[in-house]
Amino acid sequence: MQKVLIEEFERIVGKQNCFSEIEDTMAYSYDAFPEEPKAPDIVVKPNDYEQIGQIIKLCNENSIPLIVRGSGTNLSGGTLPVSGGCVMLMTGFNKILDINTDDLYAIVQAGVVTQKLADAVAKKGLLYPPDPASLKVSTLGGNVAENSGGLRALKYGVTSHYLMGVKFFDNEGNLIKGGGKPVKLVTGYNLPGLMLSSEGTLGVMVEFILKLVPPPQSRKTLLVVYDDLIKASQTVSDIISSKIVPATLEILDNFTIQTVEKYHHLGLPTSAQAILLIEVDGHEAAVEDEYKKVADICKSLGGQIYIAKDDLERDSLWQARRDALSSLARLNPTLILEDATVPRSKVPAMMQAISEIAKKYNLLIGTFGHAGDGNLHPTILTDKRNKEEMKRVEKAIDEIFEITLKLEGTLSGEHGIGIAKAKYLESEVGQSTIAFMKKLKFGLDPGNILNPHKMSL
Amino acid sequence: MKDNKVDEIVKELKELEPLIMQCSKCGTCQSVCPIYDKDLIETSVARGKLALIEAIYEGRIEEAQRIFKHLDYCVMCTRCKQYCPSGVSTDEIFLRAKSILRKIKELPNWQKAVLKIIMQKPTLVAKTAPLMHIGLKFGSKQVKEDVFKPLFKEFSQRNIVSIKSRPFTSKYGGLNKAKEEKMRVIFYPGCAITYIYTNWGEAIVEVLNYYGVSVYVPKTNKCCGIPAATMGDLDLYKQMVNKNLDWFDSIEDASYIITACPTCQYGLNDMGQKITKRKAKVPMMDIVVFLKEVLSINIEPQEEEKSTLHIPCHYEREKDNMLKEFMSKNIAKDFSSLENQSCCGFGGTFNIKYYKDSGEIPKSKTQEIKEKGFKKLFTPCPGCAMQLSDVLIKENLDTKVMHPIEVIYEGIKKPG
Ligand code: SF4
Ligand code: SF4
Repeated sequence: MQKVLIEEFERIVGKQNCFSEIEDTMAYSYDAFPEEPKAPDIVVKPNDYEQIGQIIKLCNENSIPLIVRGSGTNLSGGTLPVSGGCVMLMTGFNKILDINTDDLYAIVQAGVVTQKLADAVAKKGLLYPPDPASLKVSTLGGNVAENSGGLRALKYGVTSHYLMGVKFFDNEGNLIKGGGKPVKLVTGYNLPGLMLSSEGTLGVMVEFILKLVPPPQSRKTLLVVYDDLIKASQTVSDIISSKIVPATLEILDNFTIQTVEKYHHLGLPTSAQAILLIEVDGHEAAVEDEYKKVADICKSLGGQIYIAKDDLERDSLWQARRDALSSLARLNPTLILEDATVPRSKVPAMMQAISEIAKKYNLLIGTFGHAGDGNLHPTILTDKRNKEEMKRVEKAIDEIFEITLKLEGTLSGEHGIGIAKAKYLESEVGQSTIAFMKKLKFGLDPGNILNPHKMSL
Repeated sequence: MKDNKVDEIVKELKELEPLIMQCSKCGTCQSVCPIYDKDLIETSVARGKLALIEAIYEGRIEEAQRIFKHLDYCVMCTRCKQYCPSGVSTDEIFLRAKSILRKIKELPNWQKAVLKIIMQKPTLVAKTAPLMHIGLKFGSKQVKEDVFKPLFKEFSQRNIVSIKSRPFTSKYGGLNKAKEEKMRVIFYPGCAITYIYTNWGEAIVEVLNYYGVSVYVPKTNKCCGIPAATMGDLDLYKQMVNKNLDWFDSIEDASYIITACPTCQYGLNDMGQKITKRKAKVPMMDIVVFLKEVLSINIEPQEEEKSTLHIPCHYEREKDNMLKEFMSKNIAKDFSSLENQSCCGFGGTFNIKYYKDSGEIPKSKTQEIKEKGFKKLFTPCPGCAMQLSDVLIKENLDTKVMHPIEVIYEGIKKPG
């Protein structure tokens, strides 16, 4: 990058918040998606909205790609500076501006860490339900840009169900407001909706109004053990079709169970072919009623039921689920996590297909995930240095996506498209949808400076 | 010539690849790293530091010495390792990478002096302790009991706990026999208790004697070597660990090695084992763990004032709950834990090199102490105690920083 441009950036954010040496920019050459690292030309950490506006203008006028970054936990390469440019850090915008307990909303800046909001809200006796697995580090800006889900999504929905208002900058550095505090609001385009899953390609988000809900009064957590993977998946679709909506309904396959147990010694049944983790919550009587129905379905399919006695046991069960990914990560150097999602009645067929693909390409694939949402996480364990195996991995991924689409599913339930799935996008949405997305994107950002190359735009 | 050296360094860093590849770049370390919490930039946190080492051996950064400053800017609190879901040995990687890079990045003079004198000439340090004691007293002003503010410019920001005129080891060195002896142990005081918190050393020996435990104390304390490791001299670190292990192992009739500095224990035991591939013959444990789990002492709490606890980063994580329980059942009547259990920010040489950053780290902790009105802050680590004394005074708080052993010692000194 030219020295004069660097000086311009320095003038806006101050020298101490501007990094252009390779030993600094290299630390922004990656996110949580395994891909060839690529360093940006410059990294800036603005401290107020005015600086953000100026940076955007500067980038736009000089055709510098602008990649907005929170904590960099993206699983689809959404924050990778593929063609260099400027990475703008939002981590300094970490203030919770208001938690309104009368009207049940919170106003937060985009760099607030999800867990910090959840904790602050809980202290006031309310609940912010979206709980992506990375909530201890992920920022709300990233959550909105990817429309993150989480374990509770089955009953409580994903980030989109909680976004009431947004403030963002457009490609020219103008501050735009969309949505607001009223529960009903239909004035003009649904701009919060436009920003959701936009992956940083349409604007730079700085502030949100998020809906809060009262927490459930009671809950019951079950661990159900199966000696047959397909019966476990059948249980999932049977529970949903009998009109019960648990708060969470998670599945772990045998390989994942063994791996979690190997590293964390939680006392999981390692011989089980699958386990389901189910939580029902709500009013006490309703919980009891739903629990009985769920238990009957599980038993009818050969599931053995254990109920968490107290919060401690409940926590250790959820810990097992949260440890799934990181435990798998310990086995092999490279981990590729997919999040193909199918309609819930297709979960058994999908589980079957994944295990066949693993066999066919002779790969280690652990599968776990939000079975109740049809959102599975087949996780491929490999080594990026093994070129021959990586070829088989690629083929397996192609086939996983193919079967997902055949089952009327989607490429991504919650991780986004980024660069990871860009090449598959058209096969899911079709050419005219891509063309429409392009019109939208280039209408709003003709210079294509806002996170270019993502979603193949 | 120079190029050969660089090639060699790249090759040596490449040997760390199997350890570094374990990092899945999940980013979890951002939620526990005390300096990330303050700076909010990636070069502060483990993931960034690991990525930089990787960038060298993968050829994306050519001048290896450029990344040294980022590796060096680390408290070595090991929190990233403790909470890493993929079990990455960040501490071992950082120490080894630093020592490799040291070959092209020379140590500043004062650090060389520290390594030469404090590490290798402990008797000289012991002999000069009275001078330092006098020097500190005259060259400073007293801010409260036992805490001084040096008058020289470079150090005038700090509130330093005084260096005592007589090192702990010169009074207690040798075997301190209990009257009705039921067991013998070694007590390894470390530098801080030898020269500064000599009263902790005294309390530990006397309390152990009281419970029938005879205590071996070294005649001259040999540093655990951790400062050498953090400055990038792994050979010297290895030497220091070996010297100490030799001494421990030479004592035939001791059943345990007791420590009162979690960082020394980390240096001699955990990291020491990784670097020397050697382990002391008998188990090593913290004094509180020993009192509670081996001697099973059960005393009534004596401390009357509103108290809380700072758990050191290098304390064994599995013992956190034991420590809290010990505080409330056996030490303080009015005890509650701190919500903020993050790092104190001291980090030994980190505090010397990055004094300002070091002091910013515990800000939210001192804020909580202020808001909740704690009068006593207990911590079983002399490093944490020095740091917290300094920052509490800066916040104009009169909260006293203590080791729980001081309360137990007071209790046994009381008649009846
Ligand atoms: S927590 Fe561990 S695996 Fe995750 S980024 Fe940090 S060092 Fe890497
Ligand atoms: S050792 Fe501590 S300061 Fe250093 S990177 Fe890890 S968490 Fe951060």
